[in-house]
Amino acid sequence: MDQTLRVLVLLLVLLPFGAAACMPLFGRFARRMALYAAIGQMVITAVVVFGAVTTLNQRSRSEIEGRDLAYQHFHPNFIPGDPGLAGAEGSTQRTKWTLFSLTDRAPFENGTKHLPGPRVQFYLGVDGINLWLVVLCGIMMFPAIYASWNAVTEKPGTYYMWLFVLQGASIGAFLAFDVILFYIFFELTLFPAFFLIARWGTGSGRRDAARKFFLYTLAGSLLTLVGLIGVILTNPNPTTGQYTFSLPDLMRNVQERLNDKPEAIAGRIEWQTGLFFALIAGFLVKTPVWPFHTWLPSAYYEAPIGVTVLLSAVLAKLGCYGILRFVLTLTPDAALAYGLPVIGTLAAFGIVYGAFCAFGQRDLKMMVAYSSVSHLGFLVLGIFAFNAEGLTGAVLHMVNHGLSTGAMFAMLAFLLDRYRTTDMRPYGGLMGRYPGYAVLAFVVCLASVGLPGLNNFVSEMMMLAGLVDARNAGSPGLGLAIVAAAGILLSAWYVFTMLQRVFFQAHREPPANGPLPSRDVDRHEVFSLGGLAVLCLFLGLFPQTIARPMQADVRAISEMGELARDRARLLSMTAEEREKHLAQPKATPKMQPVATPKAKSKGKDKN
Amino acid sequence: MYSLSDVVVQDTLRGTFRLAAPEIVLLATACLVLLGGAFFNRRWLWFLVSFAGVIVAAIVAGTMKTAMPEAPNVASILPDAMAGFIRWLAIAFAGIFLLVCASETDRTNAAEYFGCSLVAAAGVSLAGRANDLVTLFLALELLSIPTYVLLYLPAKSKANQEAAAKYFYLSVLSSAVLLFGFSYLYGLAGSTNLTSIAGTLSKSNAEQTSPMALIAVVMAIAGIGFRITAVPFHFYAPDVYEGGPTGVVAQIAFWPKVAGLAALVRLLGLVSPDPLHPPFAPGSQVPLLLWIVAVLTMTFGNVLALLQDNVRRMLAYSGVAHGGYLLIGIVSASALPDAKTAPSVGGVEAILVYLAAYGAMTVGAFAVLQYLNAPEQPVESIDDLAGLGTSKPISAACLGVFMLSMIGLPLTAGFVGKFMLFLGAMNAPTDSPSMGNLYQILVVVAAVNAAIGAIYYLRVVGVMYLRTALRPAPKTRAIGASFAALILAAATLILGFYPQPLVKAARKAAPIPALEAPSPAK
Repeated sequence: MDQTLRVLVLLLVLLPFGAAACMPLFGRFARRMALYAAIGQMVITAVVVFGAVTTLNQRSRSEIEGRDLAYQHFHPNFIPGDPGLAGAEGSTQRTKWTLFSLTDRAPFENGTKHLPGPRVQFYLGVDGINLWLVVLCGIMMFPAIYASWNAVTEKPGTYYMWLFVLQGASIGAFLAFDVILFYIFFELTLFPAFFLIARWGTGSGRRDAARKFFLYTLAGSLLTLVGLIGVILTNPNPTTGQYTFSLPDLMRNVQERLNDKPEAIAGRIEWQTGLFFALIAGFLVKTPVWPFHTWLPSAYYEAPIGVTVLLSAVLAKLGCYGILRFVLTLTPDAALAYGLPVIGTLAAFGIVYGAFCAFGQRDLKMMVAYSSVSHLGFLVLGIFAFNAEGLTGAVLHMVNHGLSTGAMFAMLAFLLDRYRTTDMRPYGGLMGRYPGYAVLAFVVCLASVGLPGLNNFVSEMMMLAGLVDARNAGSPGLGLAIVAAAGILLSAWYVFTMLQRVFFQAHREPPANGPLPSRDVDRHEVFSLGGLAVLCLFLGLFPQTIARPMQADVRAISEMGELARDRARLLSMTAEEREKHLAQPKATPKMQPVATPKAKSKGKDKN
Repeated sequence: MYSLSDVVVQDTLRGTFRLAAPEIVLLATACLVLLGGAFFNRRWLWFLVSFAGVIVAAIVAGTMKTAMPEAPNVASILPDAMAGFIRWLAIAFAGIFLLVCASETDRTNAAEYFGCSLVAAAGVSLAGRANDLVTLFLALELLSIPTYVLLYLPAKSKANQEAAAKYFYLSVLSSAVLLFGFSYLYGLAGSTNLTSIAGTLSKSNAEQTSPMALIAVVMAIAGIGFRITAVPFHFYAPDVYEGGPTGVVAQIAFWPKVAGLAALVRLLGLVSPDPLHPPFAPGSQVPLLLWIVAVLTMTFGNVLALLQDNVRRMLAYSGVAHGGYLLIGIVSASALPDAKTAPSVGGVEAILVYLAAYGAMTVGAFAVLQYLNAPEQPVESIDDLAGLGTSKPISAACLGVFMLSMIGLPLTAGFVGKFMLFLGAMNAPTDSPSMGNLYQILVVVAAVNAAIGAIYYLRVVGVMYLRTALRPAPKTRAIGASFAALILAAATLILGFYPQPLVKAARKAAPIPALEAPSPAK
């Protein structure tokens, strides 16, 4: 079973690329082939999920029952190329597939120890955090293909090829546990997106939009590369002095090097500040956080709607995922010190700014684009709360926001297919014209607003709970929580205004596209849009399904937050206080009860 | 010290020719071609003879066993590992250049063209292994002089002649400056041998750098700076690139950078037997000077390339920018004496990887231009490439790969090169007394520059794929150039996917010395 899953995890990445390679051969049949490939991908994803959930749940339980929680790091499972035996116990959590190694020489020249040099590896794996994002990548291909079904007529083979490259690169980035491999996949998303926007875009500004997207993201991610290299080089293994590119090893090194006397670590923490801002640069642009969001409205607006679905649902998550996976774990102290005060403030401003911009838009696509800026600001706040509630909420929200925003854009494909415009003004009273469509649209819009019982509510509440955390003494968490809560209110304001204008009032519609009278939702649309609406409902009612498997990994990060808080407290004390504090053996944060299980039950009670 | 009658010295001197056998093969072939060209005007005959010469040189280089000379203090040629790497680079690209240039020649000048190309390749290979100021200078001239001829050979238009004249005068000037620096070095060390110069200078500079040595090295850097188009010695590049024949410009874009960097590495003693005590320690301000030159070079190159509409001028400034990136390697290699632990990536190692990647992408881009360049409709402005994605999909794909590699996107050789350079510089000590954390700042500057560079490379990609053609697809028969472009595009991608062989070869060529007191970092 375990062996099979290792192969399947590899297939998760390879299949989209294989599908991409075949797509141009099919020409005008490519859309049907794309659908089959997406179904195949989904089947593999489903098998991986069923295989992984048991293991992950098992681990979540065993870790909560109590083990040494020091030096938390990620535990990827089902690693292709794992030299260990099959089975969770036999896994070495490492891979032997090396892309290239830097030195084969031991750092000690005394001939006794020959250590392998630092090596960039093809290191993929599944854990509780990336599992659901990979599922999201699989699911969102369906609305993306549906939205392109009739819209893309020019060179469909090449179009679907780039679409699958985009999917494969995103999945690869989510699954990568080698920092350089992650970066490679992260950058690989740029090129397909550039072509999809610039060649199949709908507006006249598509080339500029694509160029802007490409260059902004590249500029940010180059700084991220510098940050990653900096983290790798400042955190060699404390005993062997060896550098590593493997994320779990790197996290362990970071933690071990910080587990020292307060005097010794003060300098190391200072170092983190620069690395933190370098690391986060690429993710701030990719997410995007105000004021680095300026590429987003034009890219989303100009892109063909199918690509906008993928951009908003999957690519935007890469940014948040990068913050969660790399920034928090590799520079925990700086993330605690500057996360909420600096990045959080920007994000909070972005929430309000995005909401007002969304309200001001007269185009539905632009409105959803700006609402995405607003929601993602919330997500960044949740991540930087740096505690179990906030992080669980953030991971949940990545999935939820992907589903609901992707669904919002997919909803627009319905209108684009029939009327070729997403301008809000010519529409009115669609409720009577398309009752089926209206019901689906309501569910998706309400989910995006955060109505209790639908998915976004759960994750937004958990993130708010994370922000209102008494342990973050002196941090602006409470104020930011208030702004974030106001953001929810604002989102209700613009979404309901939109619903009122488009679906109620007197019936009006723009000139139809084609001679036949347009019909209500057809089979494809029920399948792709209805499926998303049902998922929104399901995740609203049973968030536990996806929250439980991620517990152990969320805990690994939140534990780092606790340790970082403790360090910050120690460093702010005077020497005498510090001695007194260190004299109490039980006060280490390792022994503190962890809030994760409580947070879970809280989420459940609400429903 | 040795005396001339020592057996060791005699052996060393006698063995010199053996160490340069492949270069001698190249030169002999060149002589044959140049002489024969006077009697037979056959393009393909001379192409095949030249190509056979390159293959024989490769066989000789691969089979001939050479030992390090016993007295490196007298040897004028040092067949160390870096020399081997550069020789293979020179032989491989000699073959590529023959392919790229083949279509540009006509019956009257084919023999001269091919002959001069081979001489230039031999010069580069020799510059990589020269261990003597005189040999080094001769090797650099062996590269420069054929280039003058090549630039002037097909000179039909005013622009051609301007390019040739400009290159000639500035190159001669830079050689003079270089010689001036060399004369000071000789005066200081009393020897023209690079090994003994490095030994003498590192001893005398250990306490304080002598001002004479500084003058010497600054002059040498200026002379070499012309070859690697370092700012402020880059002014000729855009005009020469614009006016020169494409195949020759491809050579000018690549050969002088290889030879110049090899010379710089040797002069600064970065691959000497004792690189921990180089003649110019980090405290001597020479690394600081190189740091400033690197920053200026990459920034000017990228910013000025943004303003270009002519594709060759753009490539010229892009070459300037890449020269700046390459200098990062020199700067980080010269930080070695301050290092507390052995770095994972040495600066010279990164330079060698980047040179291979740079050669593949830049020469490849010129090969594509050569292929597209029909006499009746030459490719001049970037807009001339419009619609290439549909009219010439394979050329467009190749050029696209080269552009992405120049941006440094992953899965191309350019990324591997940049990654190695960045890693090498980030790995330099952060608390060095004279440089502080300037090495790390250099990496940030380079990252920002790479982002600026992406703008104009992406413009080419955008023009090729997103615009409709303004003119009919050119009819060209440059089979050689298209073949070369395909080989180089494949190399760029293969080295991007699996860089291990290249990285390993570079590491072997420039091994990082073991540090004296290895202490685990804590």
